[in-house]
Amino acid sequence: MINRTIVLTAAAVATFGFAASAQAQGVDPKLAKYTPVSGISGNLKSIGSDTLNNLMTLWAEGFNKMYPNVKIEIEGKGSSTAPPALVAGTAQFGPMSRPMKGAEIDAFEKKYGYKPAVIRSAVDALAVFVHKDNPIKCLSLQQVDAIFSKTRKGGNDKDIGNWSQLGVEGEWANKPISLYGRNSASGTYGYFKEVALFNGDYKDAVKEQPGSSTVVQGIASDKFAIGYSGIGYKTADVKAVPLSAKAGGKCVEATAEMAYAGEFPLARFLYIYTNINPNQPVEPVRAEFIKFIYSQEGQAATVKDGYFPVTSAIAEDDLKAMKIK
Amino acid sequence: MTAVNIDTAASTGKAKSSVYRRAHAADLSAVGEPFQWVLGGALAMGCVLIAGLLLLVFWNGLVTFWPKPIEVVRLTDGAMVAGEPFRTESFRVTADQLAKVPADKRAAIATDDGFADRTLYRTGNYDIYNDDFRWVPDYEVASVERPADMVYVERLEWGPLIGRIKSAIVNGTAVPADRLTPAGLAAAHDAARARWAQIQHIERDLIGDVNHTIEKARLRVRSVELSSGADSPAYRAAQQRFSDENVKLQERFQALTKQAQALRAEDAKDTVTFAEIGGKEKAVNLSAVVRFFQPNELSIFGKIGVYLGRWWEFLSTEPREANTEGGILPAIFGTVAMTLLLVIFVAPFGVITALYLREYAKQGRLVAVVRISVNNLAGVPSIVYGVFGLGFFAYIVGGSIDQVFFPERLPSPTFGTGGLFWAALTLALLTVPVVIVATEEALAAVPRSMREGSLACGASKWQTIRRIVLPRAMPGIMTGIILAMARGAGEVAPLMLVGVVKLAPELPIDGYFPYIHLERSFMHLGFHIYDVGFQSRNSEAGKPMVFVTTLLLILLIVVMNAAAIYIRNRLRRQFAGSQF
Repeated sequence: MINRTIVLTAAAVATFGFAASAQAQGVDPKLAKYTPVSGISGNLKSIGSDTLNNLMTLWAEGFNKMYPNVKIEIEGKGSSTAPPALVAGTAQFGPMSRPMKGAEIDAFEKKYGYKPAVIRSAVDALAVFVHKDNPIKCLSLQQVDAIFSKTRKGGNDKDIGNWSQLGVEGEWANKPISLYGRNSASGTYGYFKEVALFNGDYKDAVKEQPGSSTVVQGIASDKFAIGYSGIGYKTADVKAVPLSAKAGGKCVEATAEMAYAGEFPLARFLYIYTNINPNQPVEPVRAEFIKFIYSQEGQAATVKDGYFPVTSAIAEDDLKAMKIK
Repeated sequence: MTAVNIDTAASTGKAKSSVYRRAHAADLSAVGEPFQWVLGGALAMGCVLIAGLLLLVFWNGLVTFWPKPIEVVRLTDGAMVAGEPFRTESFRVTADQLAKVPADKRAAIATDDGFADRTLYRTGNYDIYNDDFRWVPDYEVASVERPADMVYVERLEWGPLIGRIKSAIVNGTAVPADRLTPAGLAAAHDAARARWAQIQHIERDLIGDVNHTIEKARLRVRSVELSSGADSPAYRAAQQRFSDENVKLQERFQALTKQAQALRAEDAKDTVTFAEIGGKEKAVNLSAVVRFFQPNELSIFGKIGVYLGRWWEFLSTEPREANTEGGILPAIFGTVAMTLLLVIFVAPFGVITALYLREYAKQGRLVAVVRISVNNLAGVPSIVYGVFGLGFFAYIVGGSIDQVFFPERLPSPTFGTGGLFWAALTLALLTVPVVIVATEEALAAVPRSMREGSLACGASKWQTIRRIVLPRAMPGIMTGIILAMARGAGEVAPLMLVGVVKLAPELPIDGYFPYIHLERSFMHLGFHIYDVGFQSRNSEAGKPMVFVTTLLLILLIVVMNAAAIYIRNRLRRQFAGSQF
């Protein structure tokens, strides 16, 4: 929880003076345009989150346009696969849709003697999706907890198992809620468990899916379904339910403005971890890739993939922490 | 059942006549006809299922690239939607939705028991609206038109754009209004695309070459540093050589960059501005337009042209936009390369094992155990092979290879991570039982008289195997290899662990020494299907691509099998004439 508060405050502070256009999400104009340098080549490998899989691919494609001889390989099987790959040195980048856990950082520190460097690469709003015809207007996190969790640490006194309990009538009256979620290797699973389930346990009835897009496809074909996935995976067949942090609180749509303002309760950063020895300069190819992520072009890719771009303040902070100029 | 009955009847010893009667009466089970029907029915069912699946894949795969019309829909509230109709469905109108329906349309919904139809439109223009599909219910529609001037634009980035051509600038001057059609801009478009190809050539091939040389030089320095230390004279000399060389290379790099920049500047002068249906405008570089056409006006030949063009693009280019667009050439290449490599490993290994087991080993308990183990290997879940491949081949063997042969590249792994070589080895392990079993059967089928004849003529055992047994067993061995190949080409789960990646921008074979790079990760059609179907942002747009890729994977396996079967048949013919 502490972690999340920090994250959101940082985002809120960083958005000061940031104007997002009403329609297509805009990139912070203060971010630098990327200017290619010479002599960049080598191999980059990324292993980690599948939420970030497409985004990494888009960055790789953009980077490759300028440096055709950099070989970038991307593997995305879940956030939990990133820390072992970084520790073993089989990947230079470990994209994760949740922050590294203490034990994972320790394992890294034990091998290298310093902590992994972190890139806050994009902002994601984790949305709760229902079928497009579902008339539901709003859910509180406590209700979400009672729907998905068997422990109900959010404090809802009763388990919610059918749509009538949420006040949804018509075709949905007395129909059991069908639950869709991610598999446990996924950072989305971990983040949702921490924030929406208040660290409780998922119900056994949750249908665990291998990808974020599969969750959305499942909901699209199941009228009585509810599930969670990154907002970027939304299709015309599903609807993102507005959420409120407290019962009876203000319902907030999963939009960029709300995510920046810290109002949307399930907003998070998408991280990329990398192994940077604080006493040595970063090798050029990796430094350029990181710079590219924080450029106008790089952040436009986050919009292309359905996420929200980070601000120039965040970019400057992270670049300074990594001593990349 | 009958057998049991007879047994019990016989064992109780009573009524011998009943046994007699059963054997001669026209008992259904004795005739065997119903059994034949069951067999035939099972076969027919299997055929129908397979044919159905193939038909589904073929139909969906073949229609994907066919250009669809663009409909412009005026909604009752005055808003406009333009897009390709994607699919239609019937749905029950909920109370909320019904409240917004105009009174005159409510009656129609009521007569349909509360159901209405809606159409999903592919509206494109993701960069403008952050949305590329939209459902339109029939009761919201005021009118539908198919205006001839709507243009469907396939772009290098941001997916399709649907709109009208507003204006165009070619080489800095505005194009007259009468030429503002895809046909009118065709010549300028071709020129822009050619220039774009030239930029690609400079940036990828020529600059790529320079980068490659610099990287190689850097690695040489690093290797000297590792072998003779950071403050040795040898290292300093190498460093000096490197910086001398670097200066020259940087010059060449600068020259090439300047050349590419000049072309880009020229490229930026050619733009087309499209106006989408909502009135927003979007300027696109002419070179970033892959293809644009007016689908509502296209003749049948024009449609065939677009259709074939899309197929060609799909087969011959690299993927774009996180694999959701562009082609799948690297995946086709990766699948074929891996399968061929797999055959190179599995064929000799499997055949030699089977030869020893069948011809040389003393048939005893040990051999029986080995044989059972081999057969059981075929039943191990394939993901277990993947874990083994990753743990043993990539991490242990590959890691050691890196330590010994590629220390200068560390910490970036060379062989110490998944790659084509390890993937082929892992799949070879997975499919070797098939080859062993098939080869053993083929060897056993060679008549004893032939071996004895050969031995009687004074040939040694090896000569007999080499000249008599192996050639005759060859068609059978080939069958085993074909089966192994088919299994290996279709396998995905273990590959995800040992070298298949979402994006491998470089093919495992290229123009740089040593030309075949077995350590590289690769793309695979099977994984591509999984990736596009389940991982892409827009699952709606991904679905048709899944069918096309599946179609291609099936065709590829058919072609590879057909080639192997052709070789087998030739072998058969060759030996058919030399029977005793």
